[in-house]
Amino acid sequence: MRLDLTILIPHLGFLAEGALLTLEACALALIGSVILGMLVAIARTSSSKWISRLAFLYVDLFRNIPFIVQLFFFYYGLPEIGIYIDAFTTGVVALSIAGGAYASDAIRAGILAIDNGILEAAEVSGLSKRVTFTRIVLPIALRTSVRPLGSVLINMILTSSILSTITLNELTGQAKIVASDTFRPFEVYVVLLVVYAALTYLVSLGITLLHRRLNRDLQEQVS
Amino acid sequence: MLKVENVKKAFGPVTVLDGVNLTVNPGEVVSILGSSGSGKSTLIRCINGLEKLNAGKITVDDFDVSKPKELAEARKRSGTVFQLFNLYPHMTALQNITLAPIEVLKRPKAEAEAEGRALLTQVGLGDRADAYPAQLSGGQRQRVGICRALAMKPRYLLLDEVTSALDPEMTSEVLDILAKLAKDGTTMVFVTHEIEFARQISNRIVFLEKGVLLVDLPTEKFFAADGGLAQPRVAQFLSKMRKD
Ligand SMILES: Nc1ncnc2c1ncn2[C@@H]1O[C@H](COP(=O)(O)OP(=O)(O)OP(=O)(O)O)[C@@H](O)[C@H]1O
Ligand SMILES: [Mg+2]
Repeated sequence: MRLDLTILIPHLGFLAEGALLTLEACALALIGSVILGMLVAIARTSSSKWISRLAFLYVDLFRNIPFIVQLFFFYYGLPEIGIYIDAFTTGVVALSIAGGAYASDAIRAGILAIDNGILEAAEVSGLSKRVTFTRIVLPIALRTSVRPLGSVLINMILTSSILSTITLNELTGQAKIVASDTFRPFEVYVVLLVVYAALTYLVSLGITLLHRRLNRDLQEQVS
Repeated sequence: MLKVENVKKAFGPVTVLDGVNLTVNPGEVVSILGSSGSGKSTLIRCINGLEKLNAGKITVDDFDVSKPKELAEARKRSGTVFQLFNLYPHMTALQNITLAPIEVLKRPKAEAEAEGRALLTQVGLGDRADAYPAQLSGGQRQRVGICRALAMKPRYLLLDEVTSALDPEMTSEVLDILAKLAKDGTTMVFVTHEIEFARQISNRIVFLEKGVLLVDLPTEKFFAADGGLAQPRVAQFLSKMRKD
């Protein structure tokens, strides 16, 4: 069998729709998991035992259950007890919850790495806890956690292919349809390989640029 | 007036401050000397509220640092300069200086920035306003640290070994600024190992030994044979420091 990519031309728009859905779901889930990760990271450093325990439980739990099981639970399990959520929302929520567990690790590490003297300087100058957190703790933590957060995002893009199992026709879902319509799985999946690789490559490039921007002071020092 | 009354501070079983009394009047420069581990930093950290007292009382212009409601007011009146600068690494020199005036004193941004630039110019860093801490030398960083404290217009400047992380050349550029501040009447509580400099700028020198304030004398008197030097511990300390 020869590789003949031209047979896919009529299906490109269809595949692009899927890629767009993948990007949409991942973008929303990224926001969701970073916010969740932030809250959980704060909760994990909380002085209240119950709050920090709950946060640790969440992280341990969701990191130790296969994503597909979590997803099936939300999509096929919850309706049994009367909770119906559409496939797209389920996908975004599931990715956010799973990603949040990893994101909280990245953010927590960034927070813990902050030099205590910097926080003391903020404290004695009278800055409120809120301002200290938003203007000092978070931006400094992000400087170091942007890379691990990037890995979380890349993993999320890869994991999002599993959303096709709950009828969500993102990139992989659309590809499956095209493969069965055209009987050319080889070509279809070659394209899929390339598209996922390109997608994650672009994301990691973006992360590198963002990392460089957040740490621009250190860059210039070296040069 | 900054008043430290019978302050006790212990870390677990270790008593670090054992009934310290100290009064600093507006316009005074008071240097705190003492060997390593004598409790100098702890005293400064009690004054700016970073450590809780076990007993006694510290007031800054009558605001009690042990009372959460008054601590904020007390902190507005004192500014701290740190040994290791503790600048915010993700902010430029100017942003480091203007953050608290804008957020705490609610100063308009433009005004805060103009004042910040003026401060930087005063310390010879007028052209480095947009540099990040990592792009500055140690001495420059500490000068930014001093500006950051001054930007809050504190009544009292607390300085804890602000030059001990610097090499001699950078030390003198920072000390020059402190000397100027002293001359302009800035009230300072100055922890240092720079004995000669302390002698030049201080109105009073206090000597801390194992958490006890052994000596509190006007500068002249402190270095006089019948004054501070009459205390064996002070004489020993000074001769050791001179040798080093
Ligand atoms: N957070 C802490 N926990 C336990 N012990 C502490 C703590 N901070 C300070 N100490 C102890 O308190 C004593 C006084 O420390 P402090 O830092 O005030 O001394 P210092 O006079 O500033 O010394 P140096 O000249 O070395 O800076 C030391 O024995 C130190 O080990
Ligand atoms: Mg010290």
